[in-house]
Amino acid sequence: MTSLVSARNVSKSYGTTRAVDDVSFDIEKGRIMGLIGPNGAGKTTLLKAVLGLTDCQGSLSVLGLDPFRQRKELMQNICFIADVAVLPRWIKVSQLLDFLQSIHPRFSRERAEELLSQTKIRKTAKVRELSKGMVTQLHLSIITAIDAKLLVLDEPTLGLDIIFRKDFYANLLNDYFDEERTIIITTHQVEEIENLLTDVMFINDGRVVLDAQMDELSSQFVELMTTSENAAQAQQFNPIYEKDVFGKKVLTFEGIDRDELAGLGELRTPNVADLFVAKVKGGVK
Amino acid sequence: MIEDQIALIKRELWEHRSLYLTPAVIALLLSLGTVTGQATFSAFGHVVDLAMLGGAHLGDNERAAAITALMSIVSVFFVIGMWFLTIFYALDALYTERKDRSILFWRSIPCTDFETVLSKILTALFVVPLITFGFVIVTHLAVLSISSIWISFQGADAGHMIWSVAPLLDNWLATLAFLIAVPLWSAPFIGWFLFISAFAKRGPFMMAVLPLLILPMLEKILIGSTIVAEAFYIRAWQMPLFKGIDPTEFFDQDTQSIPEAISLIDMMDLSGFLTSGSLWAGIIVCALFTTAAIYVRRYRDDS
Repeated sequence: MTSLVSARNVSKSYGTTRAVDDVSFDIEKGRIMGLIGPNGAGKTTLLKAVLGLTDCQGSLSVLGLDPFRQRKELMQNICFIADVAVLPRWIKVSQLLDFLQSIHPRFSRERAEELLSQTKIRKTAKVRELSKGMVTQLHLSIITAIDAKLLVLDEPTLGLDIIFRKDFYANLLNDYFDEERTIIITTHQVEEIENLLTDVMFINDGRVVLDAQMDELSSQFVELMTTSENAAQAQQFNPIYEKDVFGKKVLTFEGIDRDELAGLGELRTPNVADLFVAKVKGGVK
Repeated sequence: MIEDQIALIKRELWEHRSLYLTPAVIALLLSLGTVTGQATFSAFGHVVDLAMLGGAHLGDNERAAAITALMSIVSVFFVIGMWFLTIFYALDALYTERKDRSILFWRSIPCTDFETVLSKILTALFVVPLITFGFVIVTHLAVLSISSIWISFQGADAGHMIWSVAPLLDNWLATLAFLIAVPLWSAPFIGWFLFISAFAKRGPFMMAVLPLLILPMLEKILIGSTIVAEAFYIRAWQMPLFKGIDPTEFFDQDTQSIPEAISLIDMMDLSGFLTSGSLWAGIIVCALFTTAAIYVRRYRDDS
């Protein structure tokens, strides 16, 4: 079994609400998985289950461990940034380094100092004195300095400006990621991470709507932009979603040979955001 | 495990600077108070002679007793400060991390909830008294040194009057025993405050204190008994650390002198305290609340 994360029929209810509903998936080593879903879809609950922060039904294995029951072992090999600004505001940067050095067996202080020296963050500063962007930089730096197998990022760039967001993902790829490491990431700003994902999973109402590798998307999905007349003809191929854009019809198809649509209009692979809307809204229809 | 606890306890001191700043402020105030007090006395130097202030005609035992009384008054200020400090610390220890959401960071670190909560109860029960003890020693030395300087200015021999008779070691051992005994005796309250700190969604202070006030009242109104009130009273005031002592027995009724040196340690019944059922019952209650706090931190899912 080479799966780093393996979920089989995982469910989690809060009262009568099923936040995660019978979800199964695998994540292999060296992948970057984008977990995408609307608010309240169950993304955060699923991540919490993976991190052992909440118990769940079904079988869930992360690095071969039961995340809820073997959380300490798990946390030696997992890092997560749950949200921006969860670093304690009172702590000094140097104290944070001291603490991690004495408590985390896989933390490299040298690496953290090297990464921090490339930023404007002073080691004597307290977290509360840093801007939101700098706090995220700090968090990413210390996490990069931990030799962990899995990194979980839950909306890591929420509330940051575009420059910081771009830098964040650039640093993530350059400093953190290699084929030994695996990343799970959720974000609302799908467009910004689309190019770095290797896998994508859509989740809606607690269920997995799509679980695919990015390079499979072009063979699985196609988007047709055409006139209303041709659209009527294309309807027979059962589009999963249909919308109007600037007086033209845009239809999204799943599992169809592109040749069948040839001649009906302009064909292209939908981007992740459009595909997400098509899968989620189309599913509702 | 030990290294992790040390790191976690250090972390507590970084976050809760009041744990050492409060005794530091008390130490400073008492030392300053000694200076100003003696400066005031000096202003009336021609009226107040040394004899009146524990002067040279007193015997060694009487001077030692006077110094012990002075040192004990200093210690009492610290004990009162420590009592409030521990309660506010326990109330804050597991509440602030949820309020500022930093709990998500702390839980991303390879420490179990047991280890984290353990570091907090150890801080409340042992680290705070030890820090306080350090400041008590410093303050004792400061107050006695300031007094020595003043006595020297008055033309007397401070070495003879103070340092040759001051039972420092005895007083310090007694102070240490007392400082450690107080939180252990109050352990059920500390455990309760820690539990509320983990449990309360907001306003942990009211949530922790109101039941302590309401419960005895309810009992009185509904059942007419006062078992809870008495239990609280005993916990607050009747620590079984001291033997029953009649202060008059120290004095020779005829000469008003003290025939034997007074030892604070001898007044304490340490083995009696450590084998008292109430002490251990309290510690068990504290352990139960602490366990509840660990479970709440581990199983609550509201972040």
